[in-house]
Amino acid sequence: MIELNNIEKTYRRGAEDVRALRGVDLMIDKEELVAITGPSGAGKTTLLHILGCLDQPTNGQVLIDSIDTSNLPEFELVKLRREKIGFVFQQFYLIPGLSVFDNIALPLLFSNKEASPEKIKRLAGMVGLEHRLDHVPSQLSGGEMQRTAIARGLVNDPEILLADEPTGNLDSKSSDRIFEILRSLKSAGLTIVMITHNPDLAARAERTIQIKDGAVHTEV
Amino acid sequence: MSGYLKLSIKNLLRHRTRSALTMLGIAASVGVLFSVLSFNRGFTEGLADELDRTGLHFMVVPSGCAHEVAALVLHGAVIPKFLDTSVMKHLQETDGVAFSTPILVAQLANPEKERIDLIYGVDMQVLSAIKPGWKIEGAIPTQPNEILLGHEVAEHEGIKTGDVFSETADGEPMIVTGIIELTGSQDDAFVYLPIETAQQLLQKPGAATAIGVKVNDPGRMSEITDALTAAVPGIQIVTMGQVMNSISNLAASARALSLAIVLIAILISAVGVMNSILMSVFERTQEIGMMRSVGASRKNIFRIILEETAILSIAGGLLGIVIATLGSKLIEAFVRSVMPFVPSGNLISFDPLLALGSVLFIMVIGIGSGLYPAAKASKINPVEAIKG
Repeated sequence: MIELNNIEKTYRRGAEDVRALRGVDLMIDKEELVAITGPSGAGKTTLLHILGCLDQPTNGQVLIDSIDTSNLPEFELVKLRREKIGFVFQQFYLIPGLSVFDNIALPLLFSNKEASPEKIKRLAGMVGLEHRLDHVPSQLSGGEMQRTAIARGLVNDPEILLADEPTGNLDSKSSDRIFEILRSLKSAGLTIVMITHNPDLAARAERTIQIKDGAVHTEV
Repeated sequence: MSGYLKLSIKNLLRHRTRSALTMLGIAASVGVLFSVLSFNRGFTEGLADELDRTGLHFMVVPSGCAHEVAALVLHGAVIPKFLDTSVMKHLQETDGVAFSTPILVAQLANPEKERIDLIYGVDMQVLSAIKPGWKIEGAIPTQPNEILLGHEVAEHEGIKTGDVFSETADGEPMIVTGIIELTGSQDDAFVYLPIETAQQLLQKPGAATAIGVKVNDPGRMSEITDALTAAVPGIQIVTMGQVMNSISNLAASARALSLAIVLIAILISAVGVMNSILMSVFERTQEIGMMRSVGASRKNIFRIILEETAILSIAGGLLGIVIATLGSKLIEAFVRSVMPFVPSGNLISFDPLLALGSVLFIMVIGIGSGLYPAAKASKINPVEAIKG
């Protein structure tokens, strides 16, 4: 499903070059739930961005469904993100003026697809927000906001869901609920890669990859 | 409503005050633009109507400045030169002249009442022909000692029809037979009296400031004016077309200045739009990064930002037209109070095409000023944006 071969990522910060990733090799299978852990600045988010075709590696090869994304032009990467990848962020990034319904439907706007109410309701139901569809983000709790963001990440029927510390801003109860949702999505056939600092959640993933100093340190 | 439109409107509503202020800036500049353009149109049409209504084709005046003649024809300016009405004899003998009428405009001191009267001597029989727009309360004078007052004069002096205004040269009381209803023009400031009475008061028998002439066939006007100029030395003939041009030229300078000011106002509001949208783009950097992550292309982001600008511009433009239309009477009253000559009638009338043109113009300007913020937004690197 996802294959990373000898990924290097160097970027410039001020006058110095920072090597964020140093020769990362990784295989993630279809329908796997993988947790990526590691200290701050280890390169986890950079790795997730490369997996999600938001960023390109300096060297190395990224294969998604056997497609080498390393040299794809911008419009092909956009297409790939729309069709295959869903994103969930720690800060949710919901649009304040839009209802839960419209926030969930937002990616469909960019894919030129109709936002069918049945589909949005089904996704909202999947994350337990069917009664909140008309609410705006300011009326939601942190957990509800993150569940809205997960539903938004699923609206284009992606094969891969990438989550960058999805429970980072939530209490333990909400975190558990989010993890259960991710696990049920995995059972429904999604491949899930989740960055987390929460050791309990990482322990409950099928596989935990620890990144340290830009390289895979351990894989459990 | 399209998804993009809805998203753009919601984005603008997030900062209601900022959006409203930006929109007001646009509304103000479009309102002024629309008013100036409407005014120009109304002014030119009103001027043409007014000249047309005089029923005269040309004026015979002492040699001098065409602008003076224009001022005389339209609001009775005082020209310190006089024609001898013996010119009338030539006019009456000239083939093709339908009728001619002398006009004598002058200032007359009235030491007893400590004021200076502006007098307008005219053949009272042709008055309604050369001032057809007037509404008179009372009657047009028929006797040498009868006069007609402009609205302002009557109001200022507290005079009613039937009252005595002053005395003739022979010491006879001059009776007010009628008062002209408010015209909003310089006509309100004059005292109208039979030309012979005016000549006696000024002690200039047979003098006239100008002679208005109507011809039978306007197609033969140049032939008639050429013949007159050759026959009578020391006169100048100014056709109504030339008068119109003189006034139009004066108005054109004012128009150029006002349009330049409007364009500066529009430029300022365009910078306001750019600033407002740019601020909103900077504030939404992370959100734009998120949109890029969930599948928005650079083009999609560009479109969202540009639609926001277009909405602001169109809404501001429409608001400006509404304000300008509702406030047109106020603007008109202001213009009448500051301009030396303003034709009667509606100066600012609602013209849908002009309104549409003004809104389209500001839309183009607005969209133009949104291009930079939209390009800036579309170039936001999603990775950098999400990192914050």
